[in-house]
Amino acid sequence: MVENIAEDVVAETRRDRALLEVNDVAVHFGGVKAVDGITLEMRPGHIYGVLGPNGSGKSTLLGAMTRLTPMTRGSFVFEGNDYTKRPARTVHHMGIARTFQTVRLLDDRSVRDNILLGQDTLSKATRKEADSRVEEVMERVGVTSVARMRPDELSYGMQRRVEFARAIIGRPRLLLLDEPTAGMNSSEREEIGALMKQLLAEGITQFIVEHDVQMMVDTCDYLFAMNFGKLIAEGVPVDVVRHPAVQEAYLGKGAGTHA
Amino acid sequence: MPVQDVLNAATLGSIYLLFTLGMALVWGTIGILNFAHGATFMFSAFIAHVVTKQVELPFLPVVAIAVVVGAVMSTLTQLLAFQPILKRSKNQHAAEMRILIGGIGVAAIPLALAQRYTRSSPFGFQSTYDAQVYEFLGLRITTTAVIIIVTGLTIGVALTIWLRRSRQGLALRAIGVDAETSAGMGVNRPALALGTMAVAGGLAGLAGALLTFQLGAIAPETGDILLIKAFAIVVLGGLGSMLGTVLGAYILAAAETFVVVMNWGTWVNAVSFGLIFLILLVRPQGLLGRKEVRRT
Amino acid sequence: MSDWYAMNVVLVQTTLTTLLLALSIQVPLRFGVFSFAGVGAFGIGGYTAAMAMVHGEWTTWPAVLLGMVVAGVCTFALGLVVQRLSGLYMGMATIAFTLIVSVLAVNGGDWTGGPMGLYGAIGEITTTHIVIAVLVVVAALAWTELGGLGRKVDTVREDPELANALGINVNGYRRLSFLVSGLIGGLAGAITTLLRSTITPAEVNFHLVILALTAIVVGGARSWVGALIGAIIFVWLPTFLSFVQEWEKVAYGFIVAAAAIYLPNGVLGVAKDLWHKVRTREERAQVAAALTKES
Repeated sequence: MVENIAEDVVAETRRDRALLEVNDVAVHFGGVKAVDGITLEMRPGHIYGVLGPNGSGKSTLLGAMTRLTPMTRGSFVFEGNDYTKRPARTVHHMGIARTFQTVRLLDDRSVRDNILLGQDTLSKATRKEADSRVEEVMERVGVTSVARMRPDELSYGMQRRVEFARAIIGRPRLLLLDEPTAGMNSSEREEIGALMKQLLAEGITQFIVEHDVQMMVDTCDYLFAMNFGKLIAEGVPVDVVRHPAVQEAYLGKGAGTHA
Repeated sequence: MPVQDVLNAATLGSIYLLFTLGMALVWGTIGILNFAHGATFMFSAFIAHVVTKQVELPFLPVVAIAVVVGAVMSTLTQLLAFQPILKRSKNQHAAEMRILIGGIGVAAIPLALAQRYTRSSPFGFQSTYDAQVYEFLGLRITTTAVIIIVTGLTIGVALTIWLRRSRQGLALRAIGVDAETSAGMGVNRPALALGTMAVAGGLAGLAGALLTFQLGAIAPETGDILLIKAFAIVVLGGLGSMLGTVLGAYILAAAETFVVVMNWGTWVNAVSFGLIFLILLVRPQGLLGRKEVRRT
Repeated sequence: MSDWYAMNVVLVQTTLTTLLLALSIQVPLRFGVFSFAGVGAFGIGGYTAAMAMVHGEWTTWPAVLLGMVVAGVCTFALGLVVQRLSGLYMGMATIAFTLIVSVLAVNGGDWTGGPMGLYGAIGEITTTHIVIAVLVVVAALAWTELGGLGRKVDTVREDPELANALGINVNGYRRLSFLVSGLIGGLAGAITTLLRSTITPAEVNFHLVILALTAIVVGGARSWVGALIGAIIFVWLPTFLSFVQEWEKVAYGFIVAAAAIYLPNGVLGVAKDLWHKVRTREERAQVAAALTKES
């Protein structure tokens, strides 16, 4: 009983705090300012999105958030913990999971094994639970029928779903998705969108980088827009999409054409 | 006395250079570390030896045979081993290990053949060529040594310039920097790779013939020892820099000659092993190299 | 049965020690670490055990243990030093380490017996002893191939950045692989040396690397089973095919090259793929049907 009360108290305080604070983060490679001073905040219980043309720095920001890409300046605070200096591998333990722009699965392992990887480094309690959870997770993303097959034997869309499953099996509190529906058809996109809303209901806050503006408007409840490494707008999706700077970035002279 | 040592080091360095140039060229451009390079070197000289056992030949034909055999061997290795591996691998990185091992496997074959034929003893040439010895100012130098030094330096410098100035050289260096982009820009990688391997093999054969003339005979195992030294030279000079290879070859030869002169003969090979180690730790890109050697 | 054994005892023992040697290189490869330091560890283990017996009058098994530990520590230290090097460069640095060991052996004076090596390190080692040692090593390695640990190791090898993102301590695993390869290599060297009672610098050379590699490449580099398959093939092949015995080295070269080109995961890989195809027949038929329906 006592543990449950303590858990609830902690959960409450977490809910009031920002989940993730990004403070004046910059990533410079040589002469290029891929991310040029971004400050934003994410609260638990939302699906956030980042809009921006190619080269605006969205994926780099994600890389910096997960400590895979070194930062030139700035800080990250997750649930009150400043993890700016911690090594990349601690990010997963904190409760942040991510997917990648390209499919990164182990071709020599079954789908089931690939998914289980998502929790192999977490606490013993989480792992014990995950053994039974993996069936349920596979069911949700729709890969149960191919559980024993290998990724290179599956279609691109199916591979994407396996990656998704791997990201959620460990019950992360923040899920970072890098173009999760790239290469999918519209019905698959809808499925992913629905899945994301379900996950939100279960308490998983999400932050997605996407190209498909419509999908973002449909799924996200708060959007950030980037261009040339800077934040140019943020707010409710319909407002952001109509924002003049955003329009210019996508359609007008500000549109970045370099990758 | 020291000047004599310098001459000896120069000769040794030129041999090292001729051998290493081929390996460095291939490695620094198309990214293949050809472990069979040493076997190519040795087997080219070996075939020339077999031929001269039947027919005594003058200098140039012997060298020509070795060069041709070397070029053919490397071309075949590329066609039958490395290209198939590259085709069957997901990316260059996955192919690296297989190419390394494939090269080791390929290298074992000529080695075993030569060992069988010569019963593991050294072999030389029966040639009409007779080295002449010159003495001046108390220094001793043979015509062979002169040929070696001149050939080594000329080819080394020529290759360096060619890589920098010519179109094909530029194409090769483009592959070395970024294979995918250069393919996208129309560089015909397979053809260029084959040509590069052929040239590398020819250089190995040249080195083999010249060293055999210089020493009188080489052993079937000589190629393997040279392979490690060539690696030390490339590491020292820096991958991707021909000039670095030239410098590295002479620096290594000088260091080894020094060790021999000091009567520390049994430590000679340790120079190259130690160099590999030291450079990779202290200055991994070598003297003039640009390639990234460390993982992030 | 025991007649056969009596006639082939040397081959059986050689298979076991070759297996250990092969494992010392297979383990780092499985972790994605291009380290051939296991052969250097073989030399360090062999020489340490021999020196302990000849100079220190140690008994067999303490000497073997010492050899193992010293080799493990040296290889681990090497790992710390070279861990930032990528792929081929690490491979060559570790080959250089191995060759440095042999040069040190040649120049070790009375300690190492110089170029002639050490004699008289007569160990009391029976085949049963070796089998037990091998079983312990194999059991430990098999355990690391199962479950979560097996998955994590595979990820460290296949995609280190992904491994990092999944919370795996990539550098820690890589360092560990050096330690393990040193311990196993040292054990192999110590046992081999005390069995034969001698060790010479000439034995610690690149050919040992080639021997270990051929076993792994042909058998399969992903698992200890592959190393076992490879060790058996290479130790027993000459006896079964007498013509192979004559052209042994040429045949080895061909087999290694062919395996590198056509069978990247060795015999074991082929078997595993076949088993996978059979097991998932139904699923794959369904996927194919679904695809044709779409098109």
